[in-house]
Amino acid sequence: MTETPTQYPDSEPSDGIRIGVYVCHCGLNIAGSVDCEEVAKFAAALPHVVIAKDNRYTCSDQGQELIKQDIKEHKLNRLVVASCSPRLHEPTFRRTCEEAGLNKYLFEMANIREHCSWVHLHEKGKATEKAKDLVRMAVAKATLLEPQEENVVPILRKTLVIGGGVAGIQAALDLADTGYKVYLVEKEPSIGGRMAQIDKTFPTMDCSICILAPKMSDTGRHPNIELLTNSEVEDVKGYIGNFKVQVLKKPRFVADECTACGDCSKECPVTTPNEFDIGLATRRAIYTPFAQAVPSTYIIDRDLCLNKENVITCDKCLKACEREAIDFEMKPETVELEVGTIVVATGADVYDPASLVEYGYKKFPNVITSLEFERLINAGGPSGGHLLRPSDMKIPKSVAFIQCVGSRSEKDGHLYCSNVCCMNTIKDSLLIKEHWPETRIYVFYVDIRAYGKGFEDLFKRAKKDGVLFIRGLPAEIIEDRKTNNLWLIGENTLQKELYKINPEMVILSIGIEPRQDSDVIQRLLTLSRTSDGFFMEAHPKLRPVDTPTGGVFLAGCAESPKDIKDSVTQASAASARAGILMAQGKVTVEAITPRLLAEKCQVCGLCARVCPYNAIAVDKETKRVDLIEAACAGCGTCGAECPFEALTMRHFTDEQILAQIEAATEQDADKKIVAFCCNWCSYAGADFAGVSRMQYPTNVRIIRTMCSGRVAPKFIEHTFARGVGAILVSGCHLGDCHYLNANYQTQKRIEKLWKKMERLGLDKNRLQLAWFTAAEGEKFASKIKEMQSIVDSVTLDEIEKSKVIVKRTAR
Amino acid sequence: MIVVPLRLWRKPLDSEKIKIPEGEVHVLKDRCKGCGFCIEFCPKEVLEQSEEFNIKGVHPPQVKEETVCILCSFCEAVCPDFAIFSVKKDCKGGC
Repeated sequence: MTETPTQYPDSEPSDGIRIGVYVCHCGLNIAGSVDCEEVAKFAAALPHVVIAKDNRYTCSDQGQELIKQDIKEHKLNRLVVASCSPRLHEPTFRRTCEEAGLNKYLFEMANIREHCSWVHLHEKGKATEKAKDLVRMAVAKATLLEPQEENVVPILRKTLVIGGGVAGIQAALDLADTGYKVYLVEKEPSIGGRMAQIDKTFPTMDCSICILAPKMSDTGRHPNIELLTNSEVEDVKGYIGNFKVQVLKKPRFVADECTACGDCSKECPVTTPNEFDIGLATRRAIYTPFAQAVPSTYIIDRDLCLNKENVITCDKCLKACEREAIDFEMKPETVELEVGTIVVATGADVYDPASLVEYGYKKFPNVITSLEFERLINAGGPSGGHLLRPSDMKIPKSVAFIQCVGSRSEKDGHLYCSNVCCMNTIKDSLLIKEHWPETRIYVFYVDIRAYGKGFEDLFKRAKKDGVLFIRGLPAEIIEDRKTNNLWLIGENTLQKELYKINPEMVILSIGIEPRQDSDVIQRLLTLSRTSDGFFMEAHPKLRPVDTPTGGVFLAGCAESPKDIKDSVTQASAASARAGILMAQGKVTVEAITPRLLAEKCQVCGLCARVCPYNAIAVDKETKRVDLIEAACAGCGTCGAECPFEALTMRHFTDEQILAQIEAATEQDADKKIVAFCCNWCSYAGADFAGVSRMQYPTNVRIIRTMCSGRVAPKFIEHTFARGVGAILVSGCHLGDCHYLNANYQTQKRIEKLWKKMERLGLDKNRLQLAWFTAAEGEKFASKIKEMQSIVDSVTLDEIEKSKVIVKRTAR
Repeated sequence: MIVVPLRLWRKPLDSEKIKIPEGEVHVLKDRCKGCGFCIEFCPKEVLEQSEEFNIKGVHPPQVKEETVCILCSFCEAVCPDFAIFSVKKDCKGGC
């Protein structure tokens, strides 16, 4: 640990503000491209700074201990740590403050890792200058920080689990067994999900439904679980601990008296391909998706049923049902639930290979998908467990598997690896060998990823049993018109020779993709999605089942493609995380909500109009404005809208942000970009650029707000008045705002400013507006690169002109 | 009702084996007064108006597509004049 000589400012600060600054090396993560010692020296000379130090790992126990000692010894009443992203370690250092008796809102962080050292790996000089600026900004804000008291919110001891696949089932059972009330909402008529469709599981070759069905029935009869099948979540309001959820319960048209005898189904005169068997078997209009369905109650598909609303033309099922369970008058019902936590286990879809024309799926009958294979090899499936070729219903003597269909592809499908297909194919090939040992099996692969426990053994077993693994996917499949056999043509990349193989059946090992309707849940729960489309966790390593929304957790394939074991593990983790909240029964909410300065308020009502949560009640007659704290999420859109500065956003006050702007523009303002980033998406996106080491120009200075809606026009005007080169305002994508729709206000304000700039003869290109998700680090980096050229092209004359004009016209 | 992204396109393996009742529709033409209920309410659209006139001077219904009749007998129930009825179709294959 290197320690710079502590430098005290010449005189004691007259206002009693005593700031301690700690610059972290983070090993070489920061120190590798930032001269931390110099930054600490620089910090020591800043106003109000009483002590400034640099050390190897500030977040370590020793690092924190040092801070605590210094707080006491030097009577520090503000703390600044220059290290990683506040999204990572702000809670750590806030705790340090509290342990030393300092209010945790008197802490401020300068992000010199994700936003500096990692994105400027090869520009030590410039990166050090930037780090100094970032520290200067943090100190400027810290000077104006004030202690805050947090509100305590009770947490309802009830959970909503969305999705009844194996992950949802496990999460529901774990939470119910712990003693909490669980509502399990499933869109389909039965719980079970994908696992119910699969024949065997890898690597142990257990029968899938045999191990799932007991869990399903446990779920169905658990006293703490209320099962809502054939239901969809329609609306979610509220916040951590106190969600109000509306669930649409669609009618089954069959009451609970149903004993699942199946008499009705036998009589039903209309048929359609059964979705559960991927169309390989038929079902009637009154049906149960599969034998082990939970609840076992039958359901009527009214789109197919001959009986339309109010007209009962066919009564065959009614007559057949001895229990008189059928009721065509059932209506959809909206159920209101109040829950404290939510587990999202909405699962995944499978890739549709029809778009890969070269493989001829849907054109050649004997090209099937791995999911169709599961139904064909299943003894309870449409073919009674016989692997039949659809063209002639004969058992094929040779079979080829093609891997990575829709996965790991730059061209078609998805970039990511779907995780399960390699092992699934190995399992499938062994199943074929088990039933028909003489079958020739070819597996065409890119890489075989047998990474898990027992996976390699299974892979070896398949090779020993004579399954032929050939590296190199076929370029094309051609059908032999006479025999319906298929020609596979491609290159064996291990032996550098061409192959031409003629199997009787081809199985496409299709990948996993995000649910097509993921955007609904994303919107309702204000979640983020990665570029792959799966829901994003709060932290990829340390909070893998949490989401950015408090009280909402992820389990199963909704988060990323994973096998059954991982889904179950994650579900248990999610229920443990939800259980922690509910066991405590209360949570503190960040003190970032606004305070009203009644003497300034003119009761104009503008704030109430922009509030996404209706958390401001304005009564113009009695001239009363009430802030409903429990409903407020702290986005700050109201504060940005108020023309009379009557709303103070705690911890993100106008003065604090203006101080940051001034600190950022103190030197060489004309060459700089000031970027306003929202905490949830764009700041996180900039963090992601850092984590991924995406390099971009060093002249950007990021100011964090909770929402882009907090960015008041006066901040931008003030920044221009300070002579900055360019400004970036960024937030979540429209429609994805963490605060429902607050970023539409951002858009409105920026558009207004653009018009104003045009009118005043200023280059409106200097004010940029961009939307980033937390996963769009690359987009962030390229935006900054793009803005660099704007800054380069701005002349000093233009900057002077804008300074004068903006100062004159600012309100 | 299960949402499958893969649009179902294959002919179900059991499509030959599934037994669906097949009906045979008989119209007593001269009883018909041409109200058209049977045509309108038939869920499988088996019937259509014929060109011919019956004794009452109206167009009685005629069978358009008998193979799709599934013997719900709603035409029978809805006819105010007992002018139409359906019976189970005899089949040779022993269905």
